[in-house]
Amino acid sequence: MAEKAILYDSTLCTACRACQVACKQWNENEAVKTTNQGSYENPPDLTPETWIKIEFREVEKEGKIDWLFNRRACMHCTDAACVKVCPTGALRHNELGFVSYDKELCSGCGYCVDFCPFHVPRSDRNIITGMAKMDKCTFCTTPGLDRIAAGYEPACVKSCPTDALKYGDRSELVADGKKRVQALQAEGYANAYLYGEKELGGLHVMYVLKASPEVYGLPVHPEVPAAAIAWQDVIQPLGWAFGGLTLIGLGLNYIVARRAKMTRESPGGKKED
Amino acid sequence: MVQEVEKYRKPTRILHWVHAGAFLLLFLTGLVLFIPLLGALAQGGWTRLLHRIAAVVFVVAPLIYIPMNWITTLKGIKEAFAWGVEDLGWLKAAPQYYFVCDEKSMPPQGHMNTGQKMWWLLVIIFGVVFIITGGIMWFAKTTAPPALLQWMVFAHDVAFIVTGVMLFVHLYMSVVHPLVRPLRSGAWSSMARGKVSVDYAKSHHGKWYEEITGGKGTTAT
Repeated sequence: MAEKAILYDSTLCTACRACQVACKQWNENEAVKTTNQGSYENPPDLTPETWIKIEFREVEKEGKIDWLFNRRACMHCTDAACVKVCPTGALRHNELGFVSYDKELCSGCGYCVDFCPFHVPRSDRNIITGMAKMDKCTFCTTPGLDRIAAGYEPACVKSCPTDALKYGDRSELVADGKKRVQALQAEGYANAYLYGEKELGGLHVMYVLKASPEVYGLPVHPEVPAAAIAWQDVIQPLGWAFGGLTLIGLGLNYIVARRAKMTRESPGGKKED
Repeated sequence: MVQEVEKYRKPTRILHWVHAGAFLLLFLTGLVLFIPLLGALAQGGWTRLLHRIAAVVFVVAPLIYIPMNWITTLKGIKEAFAWGVEDLGWLKAAPQYYFVCDEKSMPPQGHMNTGQKMWWLLVIIFGVVFIITGGIMWFAKTTAPPALLQWMVFAHDVAFIVTGVMLFVHLYMSVVHPLVRPLRSGAWSSMARGKVSVDYAKSHHGKWYEEITGGKGTTAT
């Protein structure tokens, strides 16, 4: 099946935040009361109830202020650290490529929170009991609220009035994004960049940026943390081998030692009763 | 009646079994995160709650034991770190001893034989690793830098693999191996009742038997 993706064109975004509202409405997430921080940017951060937010940045460019907007939500990586470390299979790749999430299965271990290179998954945690549930953007595939399976586009895309958000086949969106980047470069934005085309094996949320990623607070070379690879790809297979061989060794030892002991206790090979 | 000597005192035995129970619960509630098929058992986080309750016992039990038995504690720790050329003798004889059951091949052993000492040392070292890494993941989960938490999970997992696998070796060596039977006289008895038969002490811990009967009287740990 063709991989699906979202293309976010930050240059078309007006930061109306309809996507934030649509996301909360469709996914039945409570709005949280916040306070004015002197910016239209609100709420202050992603939370278990806020899976998407638009960030506002004021960047000086040739004596003028450039107001840059950036979308913050799960990037739906192909090489997803969260999927790698999730012990219960609550996080897994949808056949369309993005990272779906089944909250029922979440044990609250929080490994995804610790390992995500974009610091996206969030959870409320009882620090004493350790009880927690993670939440993040599910690409509108939350069981029972699955827009994608029903043939709709994600709620954020649906609500976007300027088509800054588009949903479709990933390969087509890559081509669209590249065209936009070329156009921006022709306009003089030399550092314009299609973020997510190649990062982490290809993200399923790609960004058209008119400046380099770090200006938008995005990691320039996002990576699956070394600890995740050392843990999942090295230590765990070794652990299985070590454990398996040890148990086999003990079993063999039992067979050999039992016979040896019996022979020793009955000289001439005769069994004692 | 069979003559016996005391090998482990009652407080030591209680500590052993309380710690063993806590470790078993910790092991099983950790294992569910290790085997994808069992992952479903961790849903809702109840295994984590059990893991924490067991962790409290795992930490508190020695904290109660140590100040009440500090002489034994010091002796025990010294024992875990006392290594010499004699331990090579055990290693050399081990295959002949444990596979061929040639009991005469084994040089006389101290209060703990070299194999028991290896396990005891592992318990001390990885016990500390477990407590530090687990403590950070428990209490600093929301405040520590993610990179630190990542490596804590890694170290906790390494400790889990080593001690989890060696636990099976420990169980096997103490109650399953043909040479430790019958159980009533040897290793099992030393931890269950605290006593071993004099015959067993002479044949399995010859050096120790010499020490305790060499005029100093019985000193169990």
